[in-house]
Amino acid sequence: MDILWFGVLALLLIGYFTLEGFDLGVGMLLPLTPDRDRAIGAIGPFVLANEVWLIAVAGVLFGAFPACENVLSANYEAVVLLLVSWVLRDAGLWFRRRLFTRAFWEWTIAVASFGVCLAWGLLLAGLGGFSVPFGLLYGLLVAALFVMHGRRFLDWRLTGGGSLLVTGALAAVPAIVPLVGTAGAVVANAAPSANLTVLTFMVLPFVPVLAGAQIWVWRAFGKGPVPAYF
Amino acid sequence: MDVLDLARLQFAMTGSLHFLFVVLTLGLAPLVAIMHTRYARTGSTLDERATRFWGQIYVTNYALGIVTGIVMEFQFGLSWSGLTHYAGDVFGAPLALETLIAFFLESTFLGLWIFGWHRLPKWLHVATIWLVTITAYASAFWIMVANSFLQHPAGSVRDGEVLRLDDFGALLTNPSLSMALPHVLSAGLTVGGFVVMSASAYHLFRRTPDRELFSRSLRMGVWTAFAGTMMVVGFGFAQFGPVTGVQPDKFVDRPLAAFGLGMMILIGHLLQLVALVLVILVKWAPRWRFLHPLIMLVTPLPFIAAILGWIAREEGRQPWMIWERLTVADAITPGLTGGQITVSFVAFVGVLTLLAVADYVLIVRIVRRGAHEVALGENPAPAPALTF
Repeated sequence: MDILWFGVLALLLIGYFTLEGFDLGVGMLLPLTPDRDRAIGAIGPFVLANEVWLIAVAGVLFGAFPACENVLSANYEAVVLLLVSWVLRDAGLWFRRRLFTRAFWEWTIAVASFGVCLAWGLLLAGLGGFSVPFGLLYGLLVAALFVMHGRRFLDWRLTGGGSLLVTGALAAVPAIVPLVGTAGAVVANAAPSANLTVLTFMVLPFVPVLAGAQIWVWRAFGKGPVPAYF
Repeated sequence: MDVLDLARLQFAMTGSLHFLFVVLTLGLAPLVAIMHTRYARTGSTLDERATRFWGQIYVTNYALGIVTGIVMEFQFGLSWSGLTHYAGDVFGAPLALETLIAFFLESTFLGLWIFGWHRLPKWLHVATIWLVTITAYASAFWIMVANSFLQHPAGSVRDGEVLRLDDFGALLTNPSLSMALPHVLSAGLTVGGFVVMSASAYHLFRRTPDRELFSRSLRMGVWTAFAGTMMVVGFGFAQFGPVTGVQPDKFVDRPLAAFGLGMMILIGHLLQLVALVLVILVKWAPRWRFLHPLIMLVTPLPFIAAILGWIAREEGRQPWMIWERLTVADAITPGLTGGQITVSFVAFVGVLTLLAVADYVLIVRIVRRGAHEVALGENPAPAPALTF
């Protein structure tokens, strides 16, 4: 049961990197993108369905591995940077067409998306006890992979060519490495099996709905005209 | 202020900001879902415009609900790891279920609803807003389960230095939960009703063109506020029995909790009276212009009452994080420094307050602009013709 829930945690974190990776990549590319409306329109319908994977990661950490939750306070500054950047990126998307100037919010989205990447570098490197400079370098790697994935996504969505699988898999690598490195320690810190049984019984019936909703997003917004809400 | 005070104030401020947006989300979601259903049935332009106008307000409000909620969730891990250390095996379960089987779906379906205009089949599109509503209520359920555990640690047992989950059913039938959950949901309807009334009253008072649309909305708001205030007051008083059963001295020697409670009850009764009068006059309310400024004037009150209610509930728990098990002072992250909490306080409270102000400015602007220029559900611009 503890291994099953570690699998859920890993799947959610990998899913977050693969999916939110292209949103953040497109965000960082904005200053270099001539048609920003179309770029943001391309990721727009996916953002709400993608970012929520990380909220689920935190939920699984609380519910199934509460003893591991001190990774957040142990990497306090990185988590604060992650949250503030995430909040500002979202605010940029919601407000871009509506408050102040578009350029202000586009720069906010770009800088905040980069901030999320740096925070991930610091946080994931912190898990392995690596130094801050190494964390920043790791963050640059995350940013580079996300930018690649974001470019690929824009090509795929706006011109309809190729596949997202390779860049998507590459975007997940920075998460997979620490997951492999910490797997033993995380599993050893799982909640009692009675808890995991309750969680399994409660969540299992919803798995088809969760998967179905995500697939529906891709089927509905994977092609056709680009919507203009964000 | 020391580290503990700052951590508490940070949680109180981000929590209050979060709830200001959540309470309106809970109230508006079913109303927008009803309007959208009506539009799908009739196909009339009037129903379409109403759905898009109120939907735009709903979505704009929702944006801040999400970003404040993100900070709330991670704050437990940042500042209150003592709580997870002591009771994570119990407290973590409802939080995990909230994220997995409520909010995950809510966020995904909301994306489908916002971007699904002119794209999803009509009735499936209507289904997404109902799914958003249901999952929002499910979310409120799990959060209230978690909060009720702090008020009364039902379903848990002491095991050496920590609490263990003993009876999941008891967690869900906590006496601190049974009346508090409907109280919170009807507070949402009250806020939703008053906001809909107020924005409609603004347009009717200004004699803007959408007279019929806003007359209808005003009546809908009046009925919602009436049902909401009756239930919120009823379930509020119904809580006294179960709450004083498990927290007998909740409002004794806790002046802030007692003040919050007293003021909330006062405002609750006042709003009940206003809603009762309006429901009697509902037939004439759209035409009687002298009523409209009065309606706009009382609209901040249900928001204030909602915050006062949380102050009463949470201050009445002090100095306990978990009632008679763990103190707030013992729940704080060990070794949390003044520098860390100051940085996160400025970052979270500062950024979220600015964004909240910006969001309310935007909502007021959407209300004033009226139902003619609504971005939500706009017809997509025609695809550019291919040129060679």
